[in-house]
Amino acid sequence: MTTLALVGHGSHLNANSSAPVHAHAATLRRRGRFEDVLTGFWKEEPSLSRMLDGCTSADVVVVPVFISNGYFTKTVIPREMRLDGPLTQRDGQRIRYTGPVGADESLAGVIIERALEAGARPEDAIAVLGHGTRRESESEKNVYAMAKRVRASGRFAEAGAVFLDQEPGMLDMLEVFRAGTVVVVPLFVADGWHAGQTIPADLSLEGAETRKGGRIVRYTPAVGTHPSLAAVIERLAGSAAE
Amino acid sequence: MTRTVGQLLIEDETIGVPGAAKRTITGTPEAVFAHVRLGDDGRYRPLSGAATLPTGWSAPLGPAFDADIAIETVYPLALTHQRQFAAGTLRVVPLEDVLARQSGRYESSAVLSEEGRARAAGVVCGACVRHPVWNGAACAPEGIPCPEACSVLVAFCREAASWQASPPPPEPPDPRIAWAAFEEPGNELRERYLQEMAEAHD
Repeated sequence: MTTLALVGHGSHLNANSSAPVHAHAATLRRRGRFEDVLTGFWKEEPSLSRMLDGCTSADVVVVPVFISNGYFTKTVIPREMRLDGPLTQRDGQRIRYTGPVGADESLAGVIIERALEAGARPEDAIAVLGHGTRRESESEKNVYAMAKRVRASGRFAEAGAVFLDQEPGMLDMLEVFRAGTVVVVPLFVADGWHAGQTIPADLSLEGAETRKGGRIVRYTPAVGTHPSLAAVIERLAGSAAE
Repeated sequence: MTRTVGQLLIEDETIGVPGAAKRTITGTPEAVFAHVRLGDDGRYRPLSGAATLPTGWSAPLGPAFDADIAIETVYPLALTHQRQFAAGTLRVVPLEDVLARQSGRYESSAVLSEEGRARAAGVVCGACVRHPVWNGAACAPEGIPCPEACSVLVAFCREAASWQASPPPPEPPDPRIAWAAFEEPGNELRERYLQEMAEAHD
């Protein structure tokens, strides 16, 4: 059997940051499809560099619980875990490394679930809210791809990407969409510093629903906290390089 | 039989940390993990080995939550590293290698002087129950060996590197400031480091 290694960012300052990774790991342990389910973090313990220290499985699949396929998935995780790429053979152990959950096409279904749970109707707009960055163009790709998939589902009048730290900015959201109700789905792993604190504050949100100039903005919990993400992780692990 | 690992007191049927309170925590990894995320002062504990475990609690042990599972819940990889250290197979990585491989935000940690690295390790590791064998520390069989500098120490080295040229003025330690908010004046570890730095240069 295979050991599943879930890797997350974690935080030195926010205890909630790693909660989704722990929750999904617990779910996947209960399902029993893996020999073991391990967790490791950039900023918590076990660290990325040591998380496999006690692992004796011949087959390990590493799944990054990250949204972007950028700096962390391409540089930090491989370096800290001493991975050679999608496939690493070390000390009789085969370690397969998948893309991040944010790149898996099935994540669009989780975004739609989040929107529907917030009461999204066919006439509403879905704003897929990503972090983005002005430095790393890779960061935006998965956000745009997910927004495109939500739009292609045809379940809502509009769907598009907005960002915390690049254009189109989240503060311009009501100009980006025409619908009377905009459902904002944060494409973040956790309801941590950004999704849980800075974004609601910057958008002047008053809870799950806020009225702004005759329009309504609904704000959902982060995509990464949805229980369905465990299925996305399982799917990614199943598609790991042979 | 009673034994201790770090701050944990392990008895035949319970695990916990002594203290004035007598709180009983559910004997599951999830419940104990959630409980030890915060210290007695309510602050988040990003470093599992920080000697700030909440006190005055115990959790029952049983077949699904035995002492080994409980110890690994509170101190991840502690037993693995104990076994590997005893067997001489523990992969030990020196601080200079850890700092040299950093990039991005933490790349600047590598410019911290040897003196600064030693002082940073003294401050951060001095607040942790793990024994930094990566730094040549001794570790008894019941101790928890630490084979590699953690991300908290790397983050501290980054801040300390920025203090080298012109140390910030000391501030009174403020226990309300987050344990790992090293950029904030008043952070206890930051102020301890700056005080030691000032004393060394007096």
